[in-house]
Amino acid sequence: MGKGRAFIDELRDLADGWRWGRRPLMPRSAEGVTEPPERWEFPTDWARSDAGVAARDAILSGVMWPVVKNETTPEVFGLDNLTGLRAPVMFISNHSSHLDATLILTTLPPKWRNKTATAAAKDYFFDVWWRSAFTALVYAGFPIERGGGEKATAKAKELIRDGWSLIVFPEGTRSPDGWVQRFRHGTARLAIDMEMPVVPIAILGAHAAMPKGRSWPRPGRPPIRVRYGQPLHPREGETHQELSLRMQQAIAELFDEDRTTWWQARQRAARDETPKLSGPAGPGWLRTWEGSRPIRRRGKPPAWR
Amino acid sequence: MARPGFVLEVDERTPPLLIHQGESFRLQKFPLGTRVIYPPDPLPGIRDRRAAVRHALANPHDAEPLAELLTPGMKLTIAIDDISLPLPPMRSPDIRQLILEEVIELAARRGVEDVKLYMANSLHRRMTGAEIKHAVGERVHRSFYPKDLKNHDAEDRDNLLFIGTTEQGEEVELNKRAAESDLIVYVNINIVAMDGGHKSVPVGLASYRSVRHHHNVHTMMESRSYMDPREGRSAIHDSCARMGKVVRDAGIKIFTIETTLNSETFPKPFDFMNKREWEWSMKDQATYLGAKKGNDLGPAKARHQVWMRMQAPYGVTGINAGETEAVHARTLARLHEQQLVEVDGQTDVLVLGIPYLSPYNVNSVLNPILVHCMGLGYLFNMYRNKPVVRPGGALIMFHPVPWEFHQVHHPSYIDFYEEVLAETTEPAAIESKFEERYATDPWYIHLYRTSYAYHGVHPFYMWYWGAHGRDYLGDVIIVGGDPKTCARMGYRPASSFRDALEMAGDTVGRSPSISYLHVPPIAIADVR
Repeated sequence: MGKGRAFIDELRDLADGWRWGRRPLMPRSAEGVTEPPERWEFPTDWARSDAGVAARDAILSGVMWPVVKNETTPEVFGLDNLTGLRAPVMFISNHSSHLDATLILTTLPPKWRNKTATAAAKDYFFDVWWRSAFTALVYAGFPIERGGGEKATAKAKELIRDGWSLIVFPEGTRSPDGWVQRFRHGTARLAIDMEMPVVPIAILGAHAAMPKGRSWPRPGRPPIRVRYGQPLHPREGETHQELSLRMQQAIAELFDEDRTTWWQARQRAARDETPKLSGPAGPGWLRTWEGSRPIRRRGKPPAWR
Repeated sequence: MARPGFVLEVDERTPPLLIHQGESFRLQKFPLGTRVIYPPDPLPGIRDRRAAVRHALANPHDAEPLAELLTPGMKLTIAIDDISLPLPPMRSPDIRQLILEEVIELAARRGVEDVKLYMANSLHRRMTGAEIKHAVGERVHRSFYPKDLKNHDAEDRDNLLFIGTTEQGEEVELNKRAAESDLIVYVNINIVAMDGGHKSVPVGLASYRSVRHHHNVHTMMESRSYMDPREGRSAIHDSCARMGKVVRDAGIKIFTIETTLNSETFPKPFDFMNKREWEWSMKDQATYLGAKKGNDLGPAKARHQVWMRMQAPYGVTGINAGETEAVHARTLARLHEQQLVEVDGQTDVLVLGIPYLSPYNVNSVLNPILVHCMGLGYLFNMYRNKPVVRPGGALIMFHPVPWEFHQVHHPSYIDFYEEVLAETTEPAAIESKFEERYATDPWYIHLYRTSYAYHGVHPFYMWYWGAHGRDYLGDVIIVGGDPKTCARMGYRPASSFRDALEMAGDTVGRSPSISYLHVPPIAIADVR
């Protein structure tokens, strides 16, 4: 075996053993005897300073939006629903792709975007410094523990008090099959506690464009539509379960509106016949099959494929 | 509390594992299902070592406090473990220094004037002044060296005393000054269960006439293992114990001080070698990459220097003083706490990475005979109850085994390799035909006494250490081994681990069970 080949083999061995993140990747038989990695809090406040906001604005407008436009065919509807609304608000959306936060932040008007932070799962987005720095800078991300209860929302409350709107994905994690998963109640509870309006957003086509497991959109500039809905205000005496249901319903109506028309969607909503977003019952493959169906293109098909 | 030892089962999530390969190391992938035996994490070291030494001397086991044993006008001899311990050498201050300073302070206060110190090197090479200074500290060195602090000379007929014979006819001959002293204080470092106890005075201060009774093929074959010194399991230790009894019956008073160290073996920046691979931080991985590349690409001489200058940041986990057996029992218990790992049953193949250092090549070269001693001798014997590998199984070692000897330290090794091994590799045949000639060769004796050479008989002992392993195993394969050297020693070289497993297939079948003893730091497999 040549020396060059041996060196390449050695590098490959090294790469196999290389741990890029702090995610627990340990042999199964070692799980009981390995201490969990030390708790480590990445500071994110710097990313919400004036300089951070300016840098983010430049990155989102100068890099992310051109990339999104180049790789997908995004359309945005319903931004007029933000008219007259005062920050802070909570933007909630279905979550099926890593594109979601990018799509919301790049489609929000700058005055909103510059004062909007994203709740990002601590175990995923804040495990190593470089991912943490990227999340904090580009998404104004702050770490939130999944299912963490009161302690997990402390940072969120602090930001809301400072006038920051939040982007939250109430499902907690990306959908594996494109269908909307059960909403966790923490989001509704936070909205009630902080008495803030909730703006529902439906993102359609992001799963088909870049599902879980992909790190770049599929080729062919797949269509994606972002629909902002009317803000929901927590009602007097409303429980978090009730608000959570209203949030799900609002997103389901936005999906329905996309599929048909606003008028038809309203009629179905009035009859309580809005199609559910939990997907078809049946085997797993069927849900994935239906969930990954590309959304209908509007207008003329592209000249080049 | 330190984490206990652990047996890993390699799965698809297991990263490649660190394996030593002489003055190098690498990451090696192991087949799924391989058992990897990891030593326990380092036990916490004693914070105030001096206070612990003082406490041990004042509260000995089955003996009077040292201060009361020291009287004006007495003859005091202090014997000290030599350069073979610990491995790698300990970062200053060496624990021997701290103990000696306390003992000598007591002696000075009690009015003892006749004090002599001996490095208990037995048939090992003499230590240089600098090496002694590192072990005993500057103050002791300045006060006693070279007149009253010397290497023991096992060939100085005028300074040896025949003590007696055991009931099995084993002759006991010791350093005369020590034997005629009113008290011998023995300062020991225990890094493996083989050391210490009656192996200290009756071996460290003995001559060839005495040592040959337990360092021979018969006792090695009957020591299963010599890392398990419980009575009846290790013939060498049983022999030493009998000699210890003769020494005691002759009225020689010994005050033993034994110490145990934790497993902090590698200093920064090489401390990643002390850790389990999946727990390596980014820094550890980057250090590995840098160290590995630097080591592989650097000139051989510089590489050798880096390894030889490595000093371990050991923590001291126990200091016990008093009567030899009472002390040694406590030492072993503490040692096992640091090294013992429960292992369930035997496997077809044992994999060992032979590190750069053995007890006999500190500031020297790990020659092929010492590779044999490390692999089939010490590391194969790192077990209690039964070997990790089944009878007739295969041993796969990682080492380049170059034809490389230290001309000053190992002169008789060169002749052993060129003359003896060229004729036979059979330990019993070697013993009967060649041992005495080498042991009594005037040139080797001259080099041993005046230069820094190991005794002429020493390479024989190294070969005997591996006698049981050699007899027990069905195949020995050395990954990366020099073909010529391997052939001389009766082993098979393989260019890669995969090839080695393929070759071992002849002995152990196509899908053998495999164990990898992940040392150093040292682990002893307690095989159930």
